[in-house]
Amino acid sequence: MKRILLACSAGMSTSLLVTKMEQYVTSIGDEAKIWAVGQDQAKAELKHADVVLIGPQMSFLKGELQKEANQYGIKVDVIDMMAYGMTDGKKAYEQALKLMGDQ
Amino acid sequence: MFEKLSEFLLPIAGKLNNNRYLTVLRDAFMLSFPLTIFGSIFVVLTNLPFLNKMMSDSAIKSFQSMFGIASSATMGIMSVFVVFGIGYYLSKSYDVEGIFGGAIALVSFLLLTPFVYQPDHGAAIQGVIPLDRLGAKGMFLGMITAFISAEIYRKIVQKNITIKMPPGVPPAVAKSFAALIPALITLTVFLLINVFVTQVFKTNMHDVIYKAVQAPLVGLGGGIIPTIIAIFFIQILWFFGLHGQIIINSVMDPIWNTLMIDNLNSYTAGKPVPHIISKTFIDIYTVGMGGTGMTLAVVLAILFFMKSKQLKQVGKIAIGPGIFNVNEPVIFGLPIVMNPLIIVPWILSPIVVTLVTYFAMASGIVPRPTGVTVPWTVPVFINGMMATNSFAGGLIQLVNMAIVFVIWFPFLKVIDRVNVKKEQSETENVA
Repeated sequence: MKRILLACSAGMSTSLLVTKMEQYVTSIGDEAKIWAVGQDQAKAELKHADVVLIGPQMSFLKGELQKEANQYGIKVDVIDMMAYGMTDGKKAYEQALKLMGDQ
Repeated sequence: MFEKLSEFLLPIAGKLNNNRYLTVLRDAFMLSFPLTIFGSIFVVLTNLPFLNKMMSDSAIKSFQSMFGIASSATMGIMSVFVVFGIGYYLSKSYDVEGIFGGAIALVSFLLLTPFVYQPDHGAAIQGVIPLDRLGAKGMFLGMITAFISAEIYRKIVQKNITIKMPPGVPPAVAKSFAALIPALITLTVFLLINVFVTQVFKTNMHDVIYKAVQAPLVGLGGGIIPTIIAIFFIQILWFFGLHGQIIINSVMDPIWNTLMIDNLNSYTAGKPVPHIISKTFIDIYTVGMGGTGMTLAVVLAILFFMKSKQLKQVGKIAIGPGIFNVNEPVIFGLPIVMNPLIIVPWILSPIVVTLVTYFAMASGIVPRPTGVTVPWTVPVFINGMMATNSFAGGLIQLVNMAIVFVIWFPFLKVIDRVNVKKEQSETENVA
């Protein structure tokens, strides 16, 4: 079971992407827990995740979150802008997988 | 050139977003959000435009006074929540017991508050706190006091000047004793400030801060030109893919919120609404028409008039969230970010629309925002009617959308033509 945390300002626009990613995950028969939070909860939640993806409009959070995430050995990255805009669940999920694979 | 600017903006945005005081301020205002929504619902319900056709004037009056407490107990004393919130969140950010930080901030604020009401005519009434001191008028003193008192409190706690209980004492008891000395010192400081100001200068901190800080700042922030500048920066930040509001609003929100509560107080008292620019104006008339940059009109233009597959795809994804003023699909999918073809309509249309709305309200064609809090996710037209308690308030948004449509249309056409050509050559290549 892969655990993917998405973070943006209020967790609203990333929640759009969560649905699309979940649909893709089910369609390929994978299993993953994907959820979205606002930036204030991201720090507290990241220890429950295997990887953290940030909405591109909050890209300036990356440094701070990565510092926190290092304690748990988790990777943090900004979601590809186009994948985010087009709510491309496949591309975002593959980005998450790639990050986890790099560990 | 855009990349260079982006590299320059990113760390600034990060610093502003992560600034301890701005983060605390943002969280403190968020604390009062559900409360102000509760108050707003009852202001809207008791002021529905068609009420006077259903009941007599005296019936409306008693109906309003029956439910008036809902807004008095929430937005009417908003400074109380903001002060407590700042005390709580700032202490917490230093890993110091938050609840005492909040309580100490609140008492520090009350220590500077005169417990006396001076009516325009007649003798002063002792032993009461005028509501507006805890609402709009006391907002800036409240914020300043809360930050300073929480800083003093946490410094003393961190220096370990506390009474430590032996193990075995219940934690709640130990905690309240641990807060004892920091609380005594912090509160004494504010008590002495108040004694000094009232006895030596024969005034009070409320009036001093109101005249010296709040009135000038709020007067400035309530003007149309600073508002246009703020909107300009929000659009520029989004153009570089950064969340503009989270950065600009954290600086402007204290001013915009103060103006909003001031409006509400006048409105519920049956007086003319004093301000146009306010939190409500910013939320509903700059974001509430499809999101930042008022892009619902752009999405409609794409769906009805553009031919390229890529644009159509964006339109289809963007229309659902766009109705609720979430427009990241447009911003990152169209894309707006770093797109030189789009920078002109992206920055021009919000400025034009804001000016049109402002002057429509200044001239009285459209009523001013009453000061009720309308969540920014309420769809266009409905949110405009709620914000101004009028039909015209929704109608002006439709006019605004038409303006956005006209400004964007030629630029969208260019993008569409480029995309169609690209898509054609791609299919030819495949064939």
